[in-house]
Amino acid sequence: MNTSSLFSLGTKAMAASQAALATTGHNIANANVQGYSRQQAELASAAGQYSGSGYFGKGVDVTTVSRAHDAFLTREAASARSLAAMDSSRLELLRELETVFPGGEQGVGHAAGEFLNAMVDLSAHPGDASTREVVLARAQDVADRFANAGARLDALQQRVRDELQAGVAQINRLSANIAELNQRIGAAQALGQPPNDLLDQRDQALSDLSQLVQISTVRADDGSVSVFAAGGQNLVLRATAQTLRVQADANDASRLGVAVTASGALLQPQALGGGELAGLLRFQNEDLVDARTRLGQLAAALGGAVNRQQAAGLDLRAPAGSGAPIFADVVATQAWPQAGSASGASVTLALADATQLQASEYSLRADPGGAPGVWQLTRLSDGLVRSIASGSTVDGLTITVGAAPPPAATDRFLLQPVTRAANGMKRVLDDIHGVAAASAAPASNNANALAYTALRDAALVARGASGGGASTLTDAYAAAMADIGVRVQGAASGAAISAAVATHAETARSAQSGVDLDEEAARLIHFQQSYQAAAKILQVAQTVFDTLLHAA
Amino acid sequence: MRITTANAYRSTIDSLQQRQQQLQQSQDRLTSGKRVARASDDPAAAARAERALAAQSRAVADQRGLQASRNAMQQAESALGDAGEAMQQVRELLVAAGNPTYGDAERANLGDRIRGLRDTLLAIANRGDGAGGWLFGGQGATQPPFADSGGNVGCTALAGQTQVQASEPMPLTLDGQATWLGALSAFSVLDRVASDLQTPNRSGPQVAQTVADGLRDVDAVMGRLQWQRARAGESLNRADSVESRLADVTLHAQTERSLAEDVDMVQALSDFKAQQTGYEAALSSYATVQRMSLFQYLK
Repeated sequence: MNTSSLFSLGTKAMAASQAALATTGHNIANANVQGYSRQQAELASAAGQYSGSGYFGKGVDVTTVSRAHDAFLTREAASARSLAAMDSSRLELLRELETVFPGGEQGVGHAAGEFLNAMVDLSAHPGDASTREVVLARAQDVADRFANAGARLDALQQRVRDELQAGVAQINRLSANIAELNQRIGAAQALGQPPNDLLDQRDQALSDLSQLVQISTVRADDGSVSVFAAGGQNLVLRATAQTLRVQADANDASRLGVAVTASGALLQPQALGGGELAGLLRFQNEDLVDARTRLGQLAAALGGAVNRQQAAGLDLRAPAGSGAPIFADVVATQAWPQAGSASGASVTLALADATQLQASEYSLRADPGGAPGVWQLTRLSDGLVRSIASGSTVDGLTITVGAAPPPAATDRFLLQPVTRAANGMKRVLDDIHGVAAASAAPASNNANALAYTALRDAALVARGASGGGASTLTDAYAAAMADIGVRVQGAASGAAISAAVATHAETARSAQSGVDLDEEAARLIHFQQSYQAAAKILQVAQTVFDTLLHAA
Repeated sequence: MRITTANAYRSTIDSLQQRQQQLQQSQDRLTSGKRVARASDDPAAAARAERALAAQSRAVADQRGLQASRNAMQQAESALGDAGEAMQQVRELLVAAGNPTYGDAERANLGDRIRGLRDTLLAIANRGDGAGGWLFGGQGATQPPFADSGGNVGCTALAGQTQVQASEPMPLTLDGQATWLGALSAFSVLDRVASDLQTPNRSGPQVAQTVADGLRDVDAVMGRLQWQRARAGESLNRADSVESRLADVTLHAQTERSLAEDVDMVQALSDFKAQQTGYEAALSSYATVQRMSLFQYLK
C-alpha cells in the first residue's frame, strides 16, 4: 500500500459520486419528459490488489448507466392505451351522433307528428287556404329536418375521413421515426453500452403508435424492434417502415378503409384490435350505418305513406284530381356492384311498399349452390339469408337483376335502399290546392284528411312478418333515439373502464420507471455526502503525503 | 410503490377535472330542470318522454278539432233557433189567416209575409260557418248547399255529416238534406201555404182546410228542426265530455313526460352539494400535498 493508491481511491470515489450526481441531475431534469425512464449509475467495487496481508480494495468503478425499465409493464401500458383510445374515439363520435337524434320539440319525430296533427285542422277546415298553408309548412319542416339530419350524418362521415387521414399520417410519421431509432440504437448498442435515452424515445414512439393502432412488437438481437399491426401486417421491419393510406372501401365506395400503400391491401377493421383507427372504423361501419338506415327507414315510411294517402284523395285544383306526391321519392333504385363484380350486370330496386322497408342494407350474390336464376339475399342488419329470384319483392322492395349483360357467378351487389333516404327528403308539392283533403269515392269534403289523421296511429314503420314488430312513426323515432342512447351509454361505460385500466397500467409502469422528485432529492443529498467523503479521502491523502515529505 | 411526480400530478389533475365535470353536469341539471338532456342519460326515459310529448301535441291538435266542431255546432244550434222563431211566426200568420172576417186582400198580404219568412229560412239554411264551410253542408259542399230554381229548392250537399277528428269523430255540419227537405220540404210547405193564401175567391171551408193542412205541415217541419237542434245540443254536450277527456290526456302526458325527464330537485340539490364538498376537499388536499416536497426542507 502507498499514498498514491489512496489518491487513486479518492479520485475514483469522487468520479463515482459525480456520475451518480449527474444521473440524479439528469433524472430531475427529465422528470416531466413523457416516457422518460429513471436512470441510475451502476457502481461496482474494483477487484482488490493482492498483498501478503490480504487483498486491498482498489476503490469503485462506474460500470454503466442503467434505466429503470420493465418490458412487460411498458407493453401492458401501451396495449391498455390502445384499447382506451379505441373506446374514447368511438364514444366521442357517438356523442356527436346522438345529437342528430334529439328528443322533444327539436326532433324529427316531433316534426313528423306535427305534420300529421296539421291534418286535424285541415279536416276541420278543408277549404281554408291558411290550414293548407300550414300543412305544407309542416311538410317542409319535417322534410328539412330529415335532410338536415342526413347532412349531419354526412358531416360525421367527413369527420371520420379527416381523423382517419390525420391518424394515418401520424402512424406513418411514427413508423418512420421508429425505423430510424432502430438504426441509431443498433449503432449505439454496438459500442457496448445501452443508449438509454434513445430506448426511451423508441418506447414512447411505440406507445404513441399504440394510441392509434394496436401493435405487437418483436425484439431482435441487434436491439431493433419490428412492429406489426392488424394481425400480422408489418409496419416496421428493423430500419424500414411501411406507409399506410386512407382509401375507399372496395365494397362500398361511401366508406373508407386503411390500406398498405405498397400493396394496396386493406387492413381488416375487425383485425385492428384497438387504437383510435379501430374506433373510427367501427363507428363508420356499424354505428353510422345503423343511424343512416334507421333515419332513412323513417323518412321512406313517412314519405311513402303520405304520398299513398295523397294518391287516394282528391285535391282542390280545378278540375279536381287525385293528389300529387307531397314528398320526393327517397328510396335508392340502383344497387352497387362490389369488389370482384366484373360482368357489368346491373341490379335495380323498386319500391313496393314503403311501410315494409327495414332499417338495413343488403348483400346480393348468385346462389352459392349454383342454381340458375337463384340469388342469395343477405340482410346485413341481422344476417337473415333468403333465396330469391329476379323480380321478387322482399321487405317492401322489388329486386330485379338485369338480363343483359348476363351476371357472372362471382358478382356481388350492395343494396342500400334507405341509406341515403333522409338526405333526399324534400317537399315536392308547392300548390296549396294540391293537398288532397277530400276522398275520391264518395266525393266528399274531408274524408282523406281524416284518413291522414289516422296515420298517427297506423303502424307505418317496418310492417311485414319477417321484420319483427311494426310501429308508429312516433314509436319508431323514440326507439331509434333510445337505441343510439343505449349505444352511447354502453360506449361511455366501456370507455370509462378501459380508461381506468389504462391509467392503472400507466401508473404501474411509471411506478417502475418514473421519477420521484423526493427520491431524487434524497439521492442528491446522499451523493453529495459521498462526494464530500471522497474529497475528504483526497485531503487525507494530501496530509499523509505532506507528513511523509516533512519526515524526509 | 413509488409515486412518481409527473404521474401523480397528471392523475391528480385528471381526477380534479372529472370532479369538475360532474359538478358541471349537476349544475346543468339544476338550471335546466331536466334529468334527461340527451337520450344516453336514460334511454328508456327519453323514449317515454318522446311518446308523452307526441300524445301531448296530439291532444293539442285534437283540441283544435274539437273547437272547430263546437263552433260549428253552436252556430247550427243558434241557426236552428232562428229558424224555429221564423216558423213560429209562420204558424201565427197561418192562424191569423183562418180569421173568417179576412178577405182575399188580407190573406194575400199574409201570404206575402209567409214568402218573406220562407226567404229568411232559405238564408238560414245557407248560413256559413265563418270558415268557408256551410252549417248544413252535410258531407261536403263547394257552394251554398240550397239553391232556389224556379220556386223549387234543391240541395246540392251530400246527405250525412262532415266530421272532424277530435280523439273521437265530432260533427262539423248538420245534414242539410234531412233537416230542410226530407220527406216534407220546409220550403215547399211554405210555398204551398203562401200560394193557397194568395189564391183569390176561395170559400171559407177551403181556407179553413188550407190553414189546417198548413198548421199540420208547419208543425211537422218545426218538429224536425227542433230534433236537429237537439242533435246539435247533444253534440255540444258530448264536446264538453271530450274536452275534459282531452284535458286528462294532456295532464297525464305532461306528468308522464315530467316524470320521465325532469329532475328531482331535492335529489339534484343534495347531489350538487355533495359534489361541491368533494371538489372543495380535492382542491384543498391537492394544494396541501403539492406543497410537500423534500426540497422544501433542504435549505
